[in-house]
Amino acid sequence: MKNIIICFCLLMVFAANAQDKKAYDMTINGVKVIVVPSGNEIVQMALVIKGGVQNYPANKAGIERLAMTALTECGTLKDDKNNFKDKLDEVDAKVYGSAGKDASYLQLNCIKSDFEKVWPLYVDALLTPRFDAKEFARIKEEAINSLRSMESNPDASLQRMAMQVAFKGMDYAKFSSGTIENIQKLTLQETKDYYKSLLTRSRIFMVLVGDISKEDLQKKITALTTKIPQGKPFALKRASYVPQTNSFVAKPKENATNYIMGISAAPQANSKEYYPAALASEMFYNKMFLEVRTNNGLSYAPAAYMTFGATPYSVMYVTTKDPDKYVAVARNLVDKIKKDGFPADDVKNMKNTYATYQYYDNETNASLCYVVANNELSQGDWHKAFTLKEDLQPVTPSDVSKVFNKYVGNFTWVYQGDTTKVTPKLFTQKETPPVPKDKKAF
Amino acid sequence: MKRFFLSLAVAAVLSSAAQPRLPKDYYWQKLANGLQVVVIENHKVPLATIEIAVKNGAYTEGPEYSGLSHLFEHMFFKANKDYPDQEKFLKRTQELGAIWNGTTGTERVNYFFTFDRDSLLGGLKFMNAAIRYPIYREEDMQKERPVVDGEFQRGESDPGFQLWIESNKKVWGDLFTRKNPIGDHDIINTATPEKMMVIKDKYYVPNNSLLVICGDVNPQQAFTYAKNIFGDWKPADADPQVKYPVPDFQPISKTDYFIKESSIAQTPMIMLTWQGPDFRSDSVGTIAADVFSKILSLNSSKWQQALIDKGLATSASVSYQTSKYVGPIEINIMPVPEKMKECYQEVMNQVSQFGNDDYFTDAELTKAKEGLKRQQIRQSEKPSSLASQLTFWWCATSLDYFTDYFPAMNKVTKQDIQNYVTKYIVGKPYVAGMIINAQMNKQYNPGEYFKN
Repeated sequence: MKNIIICFCLLMVFAANAQDKKAYDMTINGVKVIVVPSGNEIVQMALVIKGGVQNYPANKAGIERLAMTALTECGTLKDDKNNFKDKLDEVDAKVYGSAGKDASYLQLNCIKSDFEKVWPLYVDALLTPRFDAKEFARIKEEAINSLRSMESNPDASLQRMAMQVAFKGMDYAKFSSGTIENIQKLTLQETKDYYKSLLTRSRIFMVLVGDISKEDLQKKITALTTKIPQGKPFALKRASYVPQTNSFVAKPKENATNYIMGISAAPQANSKEYYPAALASEMFYNKMFLEVRTNNGLSYAPAAYMTFGATPYSVMYVTTKDPDKYVAVARNLVDKIKKDGFPADDVKNMKNTYATYQYYDNETNASLCYVVANNELSQGDWHKAFTLKEDLQPVTPSDVSKVFNKYVGNFTWVYQGDTTKVTPKLFTQKETPPVPKDKKAF
Repeated sequence: MKRFFLSLAVAAVLSSAAQPRLPKDYYWQKLANGLQVVVIENHKVPLATIEIAVKNGAYTEGPEYSGLSHLFEHMFFKANKDYPDQEKFLKRTQELGAIWNGTTGTERVNYFFTFDRDSLLGGLKFMNAAIRYPIYREEDMQKERPVVDGEFQRGESDPGFQLWIESNKKVWGDLFTRKNPIGDHDIINTATPEKMMVIKDKYYVPNNSLLVICGDVNPQQAFTYAKNIFGDWKPADADPQVKYPVPDFQPISKTDYFIKESSIAQTPMIMLTWQGPDFRSDSVGTIAADVFSKILSLNSSKWQQALIDKGLATSASVSYQTSKYVGPIEINIMPVPEKMKECYQEVMNQVSQFGNDDYFTDAELTKAKEGLKRQQIRQSEKPSSLASQLTFWWCATSLDYFTDYFPAMNKVTKQDIQNYVTKYIVGKPYVAGMIINAQMNKQYNPGEYFKN
C-alpha cells in the first residue's frame, strides 16, 4: 500500500544495541575494527574501502565495481571460481563484493558454526584474487547486460539521469556501475592493478556483527592486515550541492506513467545540522504523502527525503499522470513548510518513530552491519549508530524548520515519460505556481 | 524441528479447539468468533508487531472485482469510526511511532504495524477500528482510485511486469483475474463504496482472519488484549472459503509462445511458466519443488554451469510459488543478447533433462538440504518479519505445513523430485514469453527459433 523507495534512497540509518554485550572497536595494524556482539547464530562482516566514486576518473567509472565483483567471481590463487563458489554453497554462505558512491565493500554472511570454513575463503578473495581471464570476460559481459537491465528499470533510469544532470562535473555524477562504453574498454590487467592500488590499510575499516571472540578476531585480522600494504593517507572528501536556480530536463520515454525527480541541497552528516535534518527529512515525506497522495490522489509513489553521503542532497520524487499539478502541489507544500515550520507535535512524534527505526534496523546482523559502517563512513563515528535517541532529544522544532529553510531551495528536476504532458516553466519559474483552483491542495 | 507445547500459564486461556503444531515460542488461540490469534514471543528488540491477514486477494476475484481486494486494502488506511479521515489516521500512526504497510497478493491480504512494545494495546485498538469499522466515502475513493491505478502504471512501466502479465494471461486463461492482484484499469476506476462493502461483508470476518502479535510481548497479556478487543467481532454464518468456492483452474491446453516488443526493454528477458502443484492436491510436490529450485541455484548444478558459467545468461532462475490453488513454476532468464539463441536452446536442453536420473547428484541434494537448514536460521532472524511469514503460510497452506516445512524438506528424496519434475514440467504444456525492444528484435530475430 505504502510505497517504499529504498532502492536509491540512502535513508538515515541508526542502530540500537539491544544485546547484553557492548559493541567495541580495536585497531589492528592501523586498521579500525568495529565489533558488535549479536547474541544470535549469524555472522556478518564487511571490509569497507573508502572513496567510492572519488577513487577514479569518469572515464574509468565501473572499474572498482568490476574489481570487487572479480574478487568472488574470478577465483582465487587457491581455488578456481567453481571451487570457490562450491565451497561457499557447502555451507550456504555468502561472500560478495559491491561498490557505491562513497565506498566499496567485501561482505561475508554465514552461520557462526561455519565461520572457520568461510573465513579462509574471505581472506583469499581479498588477498589473492585470481582474476582469471575467462571469468573476467564473463563478468564484463554480465556488467554490461546489467547496465542495460538497469536502464530498463524506470526508477533506476531516472535516478541515473538525475545524478548526471544535477552533479555534472562533480564526483557524484560518476556511477559505480560505470557505463557500457567504459566497461567494454576495461582490461584485465588495469582492473587487477587498480585493485592492488585500492586495497591499502589507510583506506579500510572493518565491521563484524556476530559472536566471535575478541582473541580469535585479533588473531585472524592481524594475519589478514599484515599482508595489506599501508598506502598513502586517505580522507573522504566532502562536497556540497546547492543549485543556484531551478532547472528542468526531460527525456521522452514510453513509460505507462511519468517519472519525476528533483534534487536540492542538504547538510553534511558530520555537522550539527544533521539531526534536525534527519527529522525534517521524514516529516517532509509524511507531508508530501498527505498532500500529493491523500489529498490530491496524484500518485501512488510520492517521496521526499534527504541523503547524507559525502555529497548530501534532498530529493522530491513522484510518478504521476499529472506532472503540472504535482509540481504545483509539491512547491506549495515546500512554501507552506517554510512559512509555518514543523509543528512541535510532529517533531515529538518523529522522535518516537526514529526510536522504532533504530530497533527495526537492529533486527538483522546484515542491517546492523550496514548501519554501523554507514555511521563510521558518513559521521566519522560508529558510536553514533547507538546514540540516536539521545542525539535527537535536544533538537527543537525551530532547529528542524531552520535547517529545512536553509537547504531545501532550488531544485534540479529531471523527467522521463510523455513530454507533451508537462509544462517545464512550472518547474523552473521562480514564483511557485498556483494549484489549479478546481482542485484545492490544502 | 521438534514439536513444542504451550506453557501451562498460556494454555489456561486457550479455547478447546484443536491445537495446530507450532514452533517454540509460538502460541495459538482461537476465539469463540473463529478469529485465530498467534502470539510469537521474541525479546530481541523492544518492539511489537501486529498483523491481520485475511483470506482474500486475487483468487477471490472474478472479472467484475479484478483488483478490488487491492483497492480495499488501500481503503483500510483511509478512514474509520475512530479516525474519520486519512490525515487523522496517519497522525495516529505517527503518534504510535509506527512502521506500517499492507500488501495484497494472490491468496492473502495483510496489514501490519511495528511500534514500541508499550504501544501494543493502543496499536491493537487502532487495528480494530480500521479493520472492523472502515468508512467508504465516494470522495475518498475518487482520490484513491488513481493512486491504485498509478501503482498499476508503475508496473506497466517495467518490462519484467509486462512480460509477467502477458504470460499469465495465457497460463490461466479465463481465470486470469484470480491470479492477478493488480487487477483491471476499468474495474479499479469505476469501483464504488458498495463494492467495498461487498468485499468487507464476504471476507473481512473473524472466521476468515488471523491476528498475529509478535515481538517483545507477554503472551498471556497479548491474548487477553486480543480477546477483549476482537472478541465481539461478529463472525460470518459460514466459512467464506466454503461459501464462495474458487473455480478450478484449467490446465494449459497447449504450449504457447509469444514475443512482445517494448521500447523500455534495453535487454531481452525470457519467461517460461508451467502450472505446478498446490497444497490441496500435492503438498509433497510443493516441497519437492522448493528443494529442486534450491538445487538448481547451486553453482555446481548442471543448470548454473550450462547457463551462467558458460556466459550465456546474466541470470537464470527456476522458482515455484507455493499456493493453495495451483502454484506457478517459473523460469526467468536474462540472456546475453548476442548469445540469445544459444542460451534459449540450452535452456530447453536443460529442461528436457530435468527428469533424468543423473540430472543432479545425491551430494547436491544433501548440499541443498544443508543450505535450507541455514535458510531457516536466517528466516527467523528478524522478529518483525515473523508475522508476515506465518500469515503467508496460513493463507496458502496451513499452520501445520508451516511448522513442518523444514523437517519435511529434509525428508524429500530424489524420487520425490523426479515425480514433481515429470508430473509438472518435462513434456508438459507451458507458456514461453520474451520481451525485447524493436531494434534487438530486428537484429537478433528470435522469432526464427523462439516458437513452438
